[in-house]
Amino acid sequence: MGSAMADAGVQTSGDVRRLRRVTFVWMALAGLLFLAFALDGEFLRLYQSRLLFFTMRPELFYAVLTLHGVGMVGLWLDTALAAASYLLARYIRPPVWASWLALAGTLVALALLVVTTTEWLFGAGWYFLYPLPFESQGTWSAAATAAFFVAMAILCGVWLLWSLATIAAILKRYPLRVALGWRHLSGRAGSQGPDVPPLVLIALVALIPAVAGFVDAFAVFAFYVIQWRVKDFVANALLMKNLTFFFIQMTAYATMYLGVGIVYELLPAFAGRPWKMNRLIVLAWNAALVLVLFSYLNHLYMDYAQPQALQVTGQVVSYFSAVPAAVVSIFDGLLLVYGARMRWTVASALMFLGLMGWAIGGVGAVIDSTISVNSVLHNTLWVPAHFHTYYVMGVVLMLLGFASHLGVELSGIPDSRLARFLIVPLLLVGGYGFVLTLFWAGAHSIPRRYAVYPDELRWGIGYARTGVAFIAVLILGVLLFLLDTGRRYVAVIGDGLRL
Amino acid sequence: MQIRAFFLFAAISTVVVAVFVWVALSTRRPHEPDAAAVNRLRGWFLGTLIAGLLVALVLTVGRLPYPRHTQPANLIIYAVGMQYSWGLSTRPIRTQDDWQNSTYANPIEVPSGSLVEFRVTSFDVNHGFGVFSPSGRLLGEVQAMPGYVNRLRLRFTTPGTYWVFCLELCGMGHHLMRGEFNVVPKVAQHSRPRPGFHAARG
Repeated sequence: MGSAMADAGVQTSGDVRRLRRVTFVWMALAGLLFLAFALDGEFLRLYQSRLLFFTMRPELFYAVLTLHGVGMVGLWLDTALAAASYLLARYIRPPVWASWLALAGTLVALALLVVTTTEWLFGAGWYFLYPLPFESQGTWSAAATAAFFVAMAILCGVWLLWSLATIAAILKRYPLRVALGWRHLSGRAGSQGPDVPPLVLIALVALIPAVAGFVDAFAVFAFYVIQWRVKDFVANALLMKNLTFFFIQMTAYATMYLGVGIVYELLPAFAGRPWKMNRLIVLAWNAALVLVLFSYLNHLYMDYAQPQALQVTGQVVSYFSAVPAAVVSIFDGLLLVYGARMRWTVASALMFLGLMGWAIGGVGAVIDSTISVNSVLHNTLWVPAHFHTYYVMGVVLMLLGFASHLGVELSGIPDSRLARFLIVPLLLVGGYGFVLTLFWAGAHSIPRRYAVYPDELRWGIGYARTGVAFIAVLILGVLLFLLDTGRRYVAVIGDGLRL
Repeated sequence: MQIRAFFLFAAISTVVVAVFVWVALSTRRPHEPDAAAVNRLRGWFLGTLIAGLLVALVLTVGRLPYPRHTQPANLIIYAVGMQYSWGLSTRPIRTQDDWQNSTYANPIEVPSGSLVEFRVTSFDVNHGFGVFSPSGRLLGEVQAMPGYVNRLRLRFTTPGTYWVFCLELCGMGHHLMRGEFNVVPKVAQHSRPRPGFHAARG
């Protein structure tokens, strides 16, 4: 790939080396952090299962829950940005400086978050719903709240810079109309220079709303600072909720879409077929760009104070965002592989299965985005069930596929059959067992984010115990993946990091 | 409804898995798909998906939980969430003292068959007002937000003790937050309540 990038005149060989180096570091860090955050997720389920750790104070549960949420969401956004940047280098000059800055910012923020949560017991949840950070009932201090927001501001700051710099790099090569594929809509796809590859279009569709989300996050932080400093100022709770959920939704969508873009870019090589830009892809992704901006409304159905027109808009948008995803990306992904002389490796299997996880997570999400159903599923375990499916069985598999592919590419050590037939089934069995248990528990009215299930909902304990077993299988799969892929990364280091 | 939702999810997901497995297995016999057949299949898929979503929309948009006030409630219960308990009362809860008293009062008795309107708010942070049946099934919920009063309407026909649990993370006592009321057969009530003015026993 390196020579291809250099030959295209987009990158110098120095650029390629720098990009490889930072991507290598990101993937190595992602592997270690994934294991760490998966283990803290297991801690949470063990606590709820009353098998282990349950004699610890519940404050620690909520603090670790907060760390797990910010950690996982942040980790996978960073990893998706890094992986997408690496592949975008085939077409543009991605901002390597922004990647290194984000790495530094992430490490500083992570250190702050670990201290803020595990030491200072900040437990307001990863999306810090206003005004809870101010109302700890003495559990955490004002300094802990401040430290949490400093960490979040660092993260949002580096993500904003990285996103803006990547968009700028795209627009330097492709004018906006071209980058969004509009020439396909006017039937002039063959004219006026090189066509835009799907990955570039998808990256724009992921990053434009992401930028809006990060700017919005700073507005939320500003309200917190104003309330802290200005006597008698009280922010409007409904406004803050809208702003907060817009931020988290854009962050999640950016991660998911970047993962899908990576699959568009990499899977064709394994299938021996191209995934070419066409009018349908352009229509689908331009539609997604608009729909995603309103999709956050489905988080506020149970806020009856929200205007009803917005509630119904949320359901309509959530329903119809499934159409471009299903009819274009997933359908085309299946078509790419159908009957292909497919080179099945850990990387290609994980990316293919990541598409499946995205589809299944979407089914759970569409069901929950029905207002009348949401009224009995909201904030039960159904909610973490669907977003864990999107993440763990969707974008995480896609990104693990990328990490595996990068390891093979950099080290030259090929895949092993043992890895394919051991790692992939463990990840699937453990992952789907875990999320299905959550879906089932949610359908049985078990609330999310409970350190201890009340006696009236005691079956939640049994579901937690089942979840513990499946998470253990998943973690075993992750460990074996890290060992198998890690040996390639170690070989690269042993080769003097001559990337 | 929740179990039906789960089985709908399971059924559609099973189809998704089956399709992915079929496609994966197809790579054992490499061949090019027929372009015309693919276009027909995509068209069928698009049409079916849009039709399904439209049907679901039409069937569900008419069943929104937001109160329409076409029918007066038989009983109004004021509910205030505050770290970490629910205060329930048939009188407005305006102050922290009112809230405190309501948390200590005997559970409200709701005559079976009543349409109850819960007027829900919070005195501190966001809480989630979740009403659970005696068997532990979530019947309905609404957010309790500081500065807003949200109205949740539910009809209770089965006698028993109903629970209110918090469904929005609100701090270290989130899992401890509870309230309760009893649905009693109409004949078991000691006096006929006047809607909105029924005093909690205590």
